[in-house]
Amino acid sequence: MSVPAEAPGDLPEAAVRRMGEGAFTSGLTVPDFAACLQMGLEPVGFTQGYCVMNWQWYGMSPLGGGGFGYQWGGVRGYSETWNCPHGMVSAEHRSWGQNYEQSWVEDAWATGFSTAYARMLQEAASAGAHGIVGVVDSTSPLSDMGVVEFRLQGTAVRVIDGDPPADGRPWSTYLAGQRLTKLVEAGYAPVAVAASVASVGVWANCVTQYLSEGSNSMFGGATPGAEITQLVNAQMMARQIATQRVREQLGGDSLHGAAMTTVQHERGEGDVEVECVLRGNRVRRFREFDPMPAPRPTVRLL
Amino acid sequence: MTGTGPFDEDADAGAVDVRADMRAAAGVLSGGAVPASGRMTSDLSIDEELVLHSIGWEPVAVVSGVSIHSVPIGVWNWGQGEIAYASAAYARSFALATERIHEQCSRAGGHGVVGVRVEWAVERHHVDVALTGTAVRPVGAPGIGTDPVFVSDLSGRDFALLHNAGWSPLGLAVGASFVYAPRRSMGTTMKQSGRNVELTNFTEAMYAAREAAMERMQASAITLGGSGVVEVKVTEGPMEFAHHAVGFTAYGTVVHLAAGEHRHPGARTVLAMDDPAPAFDAASLRRA
Repeated sequence: MSVPAEAPGDLPEAAVRRMGEGAFTSGLTVPDFAACLQMGLEPVGFTQGYCVMNWQWYGMSPLGGGGFGYQWGGVRGYSETWNCPHGMVSAEHRSWGQNYEQSWVEDAWATGFSTAYARMLQEAASAGAHGIVGVVDSTSPLSDMGVVEFRLQGTAVRVIDGDPPADGRPWSTYLAGQRLTKLVEAGYAPVAVAASVASVGVWANCVTQYLSEGSNSMFGGATPGAEITQLVNAQMMARQIATQRVREQLGGDSLHGAAMTTVQHERGEGDVEVECVLRGNRVRRFREFDPMPAPRPTVRLL
Repeated sequence: MTGTGPFDEDADAGAVDVRADMRAAAGVLSGGAVPASGRMTSDLSIDEELVLHSIGWEPVAVVSGVSIHSVPIGVWNWGQGEIAYASAAYARSFALATERIHEQCSRAGGHGVVGVRVEWAVERHHVDVALTGTAVRPVGAPGIGTDPVFVSDLSGRDFALLHNAGWSPLGLAVGASFVYAPRRSMGTTMKQSGRNVELTNFTEAMYAAREAAMERMQASAITLGGSGVVEVKVTEGPMEFAHHAVGFTAYGTVVHLAAGEHRHPGARTVLAMDDPAPAFDAASLRRA
């Protein structure tokens, strides 16, 4: 995650005091708790990070809620123009279309996520933790005016007799319990949760509009049953951008257990907005892979 | 927090020392030396990755393919027989999405894609298909293999089981058919009103759709050179937006016997000793 090197020093004083008190807190299930102890991980505290963002863009983003209008300032990245094959037809005719990366949506998401993440790390670091396991993240709109809450939580742990992380920044992972045990046994060290969003807007040209609405163009160019290439390109690019962003966060590490979620929101008349969120565990190999013997299949008698 | 007891891990002689592993992992994260390794992305679970490694395969990259085809206006409501536009849009969307995921897999150096998540939707005016999975290859294998790239919706576990039994996946076989259920005449409607009768127009339409879809799926399996299809998923029923149209879709992974003969996996039978305790049933108290 692209987290600021210096986490914001805005942890509530009460939280610092609470984390320093005797009893640990944890979001782990009992089996996960037992697995952590087996690995030599000692729970330190249940840590959280929150960030409530006001969306800069006043648009149709599902993260930002309803509204209307488009902001073109600050557009960067992917952009593709789709011209009308018909020439000048009428003022209502969509003689031009555009696929464009909604960088303001992506920036807002990245800021909200990374700030909440940094706050969670800061809580863990202040409690002397080495890492955070079982991270859960979520976003939810707080109102219909583009206000979104980013929430991350997990259990801070310390490696018994282990080295603290370099630069004091705790490592983090979505995994906990036996899945984390197996990851470590496979020779991977958890580094950080990795997440990115890509948002692509589609301003449909006439052909895309006709095809999306199933109507046949009296001007030609929109063959009934044809592929809607403008939408396909938007979908493919959203996936590629999200993947590329996560790859940039990886350095020389790998991404494990990735989850890619893509949502398409119809705006009407062929216009859509595609959002792709990719998240997973950034992991680093700490020893050469030692493949386990082929597991023996079993049949369970009930 | 630590110590010995009835669950002491030392009781399991020969077990992996996971504490030492965790300390070694922490050592690397505190700035220790890192062994050289390739960068990969994977949406497989750790279990799937381990089982893949156990048969000599490894994940390479998360790959995807998408296709969206238009369905012309009006085709769902009036007509006879198959709704050819819709069936063709489904087939073409699957074919192009598969082609794109193939391309990404080849570019990433994968020999095939496993655990493909198939997301599809048939809407009134378009059919959407999106495939997402993890490209895999034999450990350390360079570039593209000699065999054609395969796309499979089998999990890592199922792929390993299939591999150990001497079989290989070849690709996805797909078949779909959308058919009109003819409207009944006014007289028939009146005659059947309020009676227990079969609506044969719907039953026949459903059978027609099923036969066409299954036949197409089998035909695509044969085209791929497979000897069968496993894990077939089917959907059937009237379309939400057109109640006089019924659809049947089917897809699965095409397999063929790669080894000389089928190898029996030799599963060991186990009897679990952890039966759950009977749940407390308050109703039984009243009966007593």
